[in-house]
Amino acid sequence: MAMMTDRSPTPALLSGLLITMMTVVAYSGYVAVQINGLRRVQRDLADRNRKDSLQLLRIHNDLNSVALAMRDMLDNEEPYPLTAWSAQFRRIHEDLDDALQREEQLAVGQPTQEQHEFLSASLARFWDAVDRTFILAKEKRLVEARQQIRLSLQARQQALSTSVSRLLVANNEREEQTALYITQVYDQVQQRAYFFLAGTLTAILVTGLYLTLANRTLFGKISLLAGQRRELAQKLISTQESTLRDVSRELHDEFGQILTAIGAMLSRMHKHIPGESTLRPGLLEVLEITQATLDKVRSLSQALHPTILDEADLASTIDWYLPLLQRRTGIVIDFRTAGMCFDLEPGVRIHTYRILQEALNNVIRHSGSHRAWVRLEYQPGALILEVEDHGKGLRSAASHQRGIGLVAMRERAELLGATIEFLTASPAGTVVRLTIPHRNDGGPGLSRPVLSGFD
Amino acid sequence: MNRREFIAGLMALRLDDSGLLLPQRMPLGFRLTEITERAGIDFRHNSGAYGSKLLPETLGAGCAFLDYDADGWPDILLINGMDWPRHKRQRTTLHLYHNNRNSTFSDVTRKAGLDVEMYGMGVAVGDYNNDGFPDIFVTCVGQSRLFRNAGNGTFIDVTRSSGLGGRHAFSTSAMWFDFDRDGLLDLFVCNYVKWSPEHDIFCSSDGERKSYCTPEAYHGETCWLFRNRGNGTFEDVTAQSGLFDSSSKSLGVAMLDYDRDGWTDLLISNDTQPNKLYRNMGDGTFRDVAVGAGLAFSDDGKARAGMGVDAGDFNNSGSAGLIITNFDDEMIGLYRMKENGRYEDVAPATEVGRSSKKTLGFGCVFADLNLDGWLDLVVANGHIDEAIRLGRSGVGYAQPPHLFLNVGEGVFTDAASEAGLEFSRPKVARGLAYCDFDRDGDLDLLMTTNNGPAHLFRNDQLSGNHSVRFRLVGTKSNRDGIGASVRITCSGLSQSQIVKSGSSYLSQSELPLTFGLGRRDQVQSIVIQWPSGRTEEYKNLRTGASYICTESKGITPRAGF
Repeated sequence: MAMMTDRSPTPALLSGLLITMMTVVAYSGYVAVQINGLRRVQRDLADRNRKDSLQLLRIHNDLNSVALAMRDMLDNEEPYPLTAWSAQFRRIHEDLDDALQREEQLAVGQPTQEQHEFLSASLARFWDAVDRTFILAKEKRLVEARQQIRLSLQARQQALSTSVSRLLVANNEREEQTALYITQVYDQVQQRAYFFLAGTLTAILVTGLYLTLANRTLFGKISLLAGQRRELAQKLISTQESTLRDVSRELHDEFGQILTAIGAMLSRMHKHIPGESTLRPGLLEVLEITQATLDKVRSLSQALHPTILDEADLASTIDWYLPLLQRRTGIVIDFRTAGMCFDLEPGVRIHTYRILQEALNNVIRHSGSHRAWVRLEYQPGALILEVEDHGKGLRSAASHQRGIGLVAMRERAELLGATIEFLTASPAGTVVRLTIPHRNDGGPGLSRPVLSGFD
Repeated sequence: MNRREFIAGLMALRLDDSGLLLPQRMPLGFRLTEITERAGIDFRHNSGAYGSKLLPETLGAGCAFLDYDADGWPDILLINGMDWPRHKRQRTTLHLYHNNRNSTFSDVTRKAGLDVEMYGMGVAVGDYNNDGFPDIFVTCVGQSRLFRNAGNGTFIDVTRSSGLGGRHAFSTSAMWFDFDRDGLLDLFVCNYVKWSPEHDIFCSSDGERKSYCTPEAYHGETCWLFRNRGNGTFEDVTAQSGLFDSSSKSLGVAMLDYDRDGWTDLLISNDTQPNKLYRNMGDGTFRDVAVGAGLAFSDDGKARAGMGVDAGDFNNSGSAGLIITNFDDEMIGLYRMKENGRYEDVAPATEVGRSSKKTLGFGCVFADLNLDGWLDLVVANGHIDEAIRLGRSGVGYAQPPHLFLNVGEGVFTDAASEAGLEFSRPKVARGLAYCDFDRDGDLDLLMTTNNGPAHLFRNDQLSGNHSVRFRLVGTKSNRDGIGASVRITCSGLSQSQIVKSGSSYLSQSELPLTFGLGRRDQVQSIVIQWPSGRTEEYKNLRTGASYICTESKGITPRAGF
């Protein structure tokens, strides 16, 4: 536990993040490579096969046109001589040549190369026979020409059609193989995608778990530190209060007694010294100084820790304190209490008193206001202390208030189990509101209310 | 491009969220106001549909602008279908509307002798006999018809006497052009598939109820080329010209001079078959170069469902760009010519492709609607399947048209929704043509719908842009000047157009050319290349006017447009 709290989780978190990012990048790269591969396969094989098939279909269509033209020539239904078809055959010839040339550029594989050579040779023989037929037609040897069509051309055309059909079938098989290959690639990609996805999820899970653990450790540490800080602050404040109380008592009891004794002795000496003695004015002066010092010591003692705070309730203490402050600073303070007064523990009284002091100090130092309102409200469930001024307000004075005063107020409030709010007053200024709830569980806060008959 | 135009171009661009430069939405500068009812056009297309889902019922019919009485005011022709045999409920014919010169039209069909029942599909208008009055060729399911303009406000059916009779097919778009440059307009006819009511195939999407078949279910049919002999008759030169192709399923045809050799080439859109770009070899034959030019297939080698087609110099480069409308999910094909002579489909990377992903396009025209000097693009949309909403989300039967505004250099932005509520309302549109019918110097639009009304949209200019119009009259060339190219230069802006028949889908726009000029008020030069080979140049023409350019005889301004 101690090791965990001492070690920073940042490097491990960064490592986890890095691993996750690297996994995602690797996965994306892999997918991109596979997609490129598929695209290449489709372009090189599938698209090429498709275009090849289109050209083969074009060849097939041309051969069908040849067959239809030959049938028309034999049917003898057109009012045109056999030679009329020569232009049509020439067009089909040119189109076939163009289609064959394109198809050869697109075709792939050794077997089709042989088939192409066979097809080219067969076509050459076919066109040779066509030429001979039209020569016969031109020479008006129509019976021989038609016989040539029937016996030679139609058979050759059928053989060519069969050959092209074989090429189409071969192309179809290649398309099927390509489709199968593409399916395999897709399956591989899918399988690996799942693998990479699982890896990525694992990395994210591990990182997430580590993050959770690290957070828990961090929060534990923060909580511990907060507890220690609270304890320390409490001790500091207690020590401070104790010291102030001791110093106040010392000043009052020791120095006060001494100065009182000195004063008494000086008074007696003053009585015994003749009126015309030159020592008399000096002694009177020392006596006055001693009295002034005694007053100051008493005043300082009250300032450090008013004895009334230990003897009377909070309202009385405030009632005693505020006139002193008004005299010292010139500020006008309006003090009101409300509700049924109840007894407060000494610790609550002193912390509440110190918070009041600090709040009023802030009004005097930072608000620019010459008037303040203090309200002490005893509620059934809480004690509320409000200090209000109509000065600059907390925001405009924020830079000045970020000192130890506010921190100390919060610390004291925390020690009381109370909440302290810094609100904006209407129309301007600040309201500091301290709310101390009743607590029955022995924790910080008010003890069970006790009716004191105060009003 | 001068500095001012460069800055204007930059201002027309904006950065989107991804930082890409996109065309900035600018005020349109015009409105398309529907005036069909006010104009007295009460036409309604009859597809003949009675529940048997016969293939032609889905393809609609076309329309044309023509000045049939040569009074200088364009009239309107709307093609119509009819009830199928044994399912007769009503008698429907095409309708010819005479321009009353006050933005209203009068139905003169009967008076003109055109109240003939036929299952009409498309139309091509051209003065094939060079008498100064436009003749009409109507493509049909069955026998297509040639109506010769008698010059007195009536037409005479000369199908049989012209040698075009005895041909039953599922004909679609048609076009007049002088392929052999002999000064006589020849006729090109697109045929779709081998179909007749008796040989209709049962197709079904759910295995029980009949639905409209896709063209894959039918055998293709060759297009036809008829050479004008000059004596009122035509000769079928399909085979010897090399155009014979029994696999084609053609719906649209446009003329262009692809290789700029002065011989008119052909672009044909085919449905589920490769498109064709027939290069005119100059010896009476054509050679298909579509595969090499990059037009036959989509970029991934698929033959798309080509519908309408048009050619126009939309980036003012001097070379015609192309548009081919396709099925939904196929996008429009918008092609720009690259330096190597191949076409590049720029639609997929632009708003044209993105906007047309969910639309099925038919009629399409390049036309400078805001008169800023850059050809805009209008596309008529509408699905063929009434139950399409049930099948695919986001694709409707009725669809709003596209109006791609050219914001400069051939960069388009779809502005249909800003052109007018009536215009942007979803329609089952098919045919599309343009014309300045009210002679205010801008281009108005006519759109047909399948089994529905036609829509006439008047262009109301708000921008104050100027224009100049040219009507060409050939003397050695064909009288309509079809195939002539006109290039104008105006304060650094150079534009080119061709006098053309065909284009769009089943339809024909007016023959006079309209050039938008922005705020420019003078044309520095105009160069005309006639089909005869003659080149003429005129300089310093005032804008805000219409000119008649007669081959070898000079140029004559008209009062106003």
